[in-house]
Amino acid sequence: MNLKVFNRALWVYHMNTGSCNGCDIEILAVLTPRYDVERFGIKLVGSPRHADVLLVTGPVGRSMEDSVKRVYAQVPDPKVVMVVGNCGAEGGVFHEAYSLIGPVDQIIPVDVYVPGCPPRPEAIIHGVVTAWVKLEKLAKQEVA
Amino acid sequence: MSVVDYGYAVWAPLIWIIALVVIGVMVLIWRSRGQKSYKKGTAQTDIFLSGAKVPPEEERHVKSENIYWGFFESLKELYGAMMRPHTGIVNDYLLWFVGVLAVTVAILVLAG
Repeated sequence: MNLKVFNRALWVYHMNTGSCNGCDIEILAVLTPRYDVERFGIKLVGSPRHADVLLVTGPVGRSMEDSVKRVYAQVPDPKVVMVVGNCGAEGGVFHEAYSLIGPVDQIIPVDVYVPGCPPRPEAIIHGVVTAWVKLEKLAKQEVA
Repeated sequence: MSVVDYGYAVWAPLIWIIALVVIGVMVLIWRSRGQKSYKKGTAQTDIFLSGAKVPPEEERHVKSENIYWGFFESLKELYGAMMRPHTGIVNDYLLWFVGVLAVTVAILVLAG
């Protein structure tokens, strides 16, 4: 992978929209010494205003709809949305539950899906790399 | 340049001014290298409050009564009981006054 336009560290904002925390624990596993993605400059940040990637876990309950839209709007361009886990991708075990407004792509546009319940850290890393490539394309379009 | 030497520290205004200017220039250089792709006037420059709606500026200040939040919260049962008789109606206060006076007189008469 040769990044020319988006050649800086990738900052990710993680948003939980009602996840059981299974995916969240796997995301944290990606940051542990065993996988250690921070050595590639990939790190979690505390504000969407600092992020390049919005990483969403959970099936999105009704009370979270506004928050998801608001946080998405606060991520600067170019931005990529990445969904980790079956729940965010298609509802998972909560599929068609009365309390859901999701999955995530019903509310905001999603670029990368990482299925699994929960997905393995290797799958999440692959998803992040895919998001990075997508950001490179978006950055190229902006430059052009 | 006036330099005050305390033995263990030195106070020199000019050194402070130079240090502040150098720090200020470094901050401005650092700031100029920041992300510029924000779209001004959109949600991308709004205050981030964990995804919650940010209240209007005039409602955003911390009131002085917020300092006592924990105090009121821990004693809310006492305050609830104390505030119930406080109706703000003079007749009620006078009734309390007469009632307490009657009980006090009764105790004094019985004890005396």
